[in-house]
Amino acid sequence: MASSSCYNSPCAACKFLRRKCLPGCIFAPYFPPEEPHKFANVHKIFGASNVSKLLNELLPHQREDAVNTLAYEAEARVRDPVYGCVSAITFLQRQVERLQKELDAANADLMRYASGNDMSSAPLIGPHHQQEIGSTLHNMALSRRMGYDHHGGGYFPYSPSSWNDQNPSGGGGGENV
Amino acid sequence: MTLKGGTSQACAACKYQRRRCTPECPLAPYFPADQPKMFQNAHRLFGVSKILKILKHLDPSQKKIAMKSIIYQANARDKHPVYGCVAEIQNLLFSIQLCEEELQTVHAQLAFYRQQQQQQEISSTISDTVSQIQLGMPPPAIVAAPPPANGNGLTLFHQDAPSQYNVASNATLPVQSYPSYSNNSYAAFVDPKENNVVNSLWIQQSYGNSVCNNNTMIMQSQLPASQTIVVPQEVTQDYDDIHHPFFDTIDDRQSYIDSKEAYDSSSESSLKDTRQSVEHVADNELKNAAACFSLTSINE
Repeated sequence: MASSSCYNSPCAACKFLRRKCLPGCIFAPYFPPEEPHKFANVHKIFGASNVSKLLNELLPHQREDAVNTLAYEAEARVRDPVYGCVSAITFLQRQVERLQKELDAANADLMRYASGNDMSSAPLIGPHHQQEIGSTLHNMALSRRMGYDHHGGGYFPYSPSSWNDQNPSGGGGGENV
Repeated sequence: MTLKGGTSQACAACKYQRRRCTPECPLAPYFPADQPKMFQNAHRLFGVSKILKILKHLDPSQKKIAMKSIIYQANARDKHPVYGCVAEIQNLLFSIQLCEEELQTVHAQLAFYRQQQQQQEISSTISDTVSQIQLGMPPPAIVAAPPPANGNGLTLFHQDAPSQYNVASNATLPVQSYPSYSNNSYAAFVDPKENNVVNSLWIQQSYGNSVCNNNTMIMQSQLPASQTIVVPQEVTQDYDDIHHPFFDTIDDRQSYIDSKEAYDSSSESSLKDTRQSVEHVADNELKNAAACFSLTSINE
């Protein structure tokens, strides 16, 4: 975590806003003076007051991640005012769809081989093996659809919806706060 | 706030701000009155002035799309106050990873079955050939075999897995390149203990435009389409037994063709006849060779 000592130099936020960087400045730990663009983008898109309110609603150990993701979204929006970071989401959704189609086709081939070999005089896989294949594929598909975060950073228990078909309701927080 | 004498209701934005909603309200088309939460989220994250500033510089055709993405982003931030849209990205990346792993497994299985099938075909061809020889019929044409499939489908996705994440950091249109804030990547200001998606997003920063197309091409199966047959070992062994050492220099195929002619002329088509006819041909070849090279003695 990059921290700036307000006693030596003001943080990037206070520098940008041209105000005194007080010891309890909420931006200071996350906007070091060496990275002025970071705060500049965040302020341009979201505004310092909105960011300040957001950070105050979070626990201290969550703020760094929140700032980093805000910085990422702000950067994306500056570069692409129309789509912002949603373009990456769209692209990934298409990837997932394409992979799922490919997977379905490959599974169909596999089942064809399995059933075809069963009918021949020397079956290549026995019924037990077939069950293994089926259960393995089923378990993998199940864990994929549950959207577990295996990195340990958090659990996001919902499936990403297409951003174009927007659910108007904002919903409650899904994160462990 | 409803207009006096009018039937139109104030939009969610004007309702929230408790002001009069005019027909020229710029936010009215995007924030209907029956969805107040949507505007609250957008207002909380961006603020009205920032939204209007974003829309100000866009073409009218782009404004609707931009508002959709803004509303989506705001809703994502409401659902995930810490990670926002990055949570969605992380979920998608994880889904992609699982899909790829699953695809690898299935492709490996398919490669195994195809290999088995090839081996079955080879063994059946050999048995057909042997039975045909025994019956005195001409053996089938022999062609070279393909290299065995070693689960190539597996390596494809291993090699391409990183590039899948690379592309995740780019936008579809246009392709974006997100600079890093620290030495090399955003990873510096993400808590490494968390090891979350922002790490993986920013560490791999390659901005190739054609990665998607390449992935599409690469992800297709590369197993050979044509099936070819190896020269059966059992057949050649017979000829090795009857060959004079001199005949090691002779092309096996040539002697094979010569002996084939002998088959056609022979009424009895047994293996013994085959050997005799080959010997006969071999003798003639010796004499011709001796004449060509003026050999004084064969035994030398």
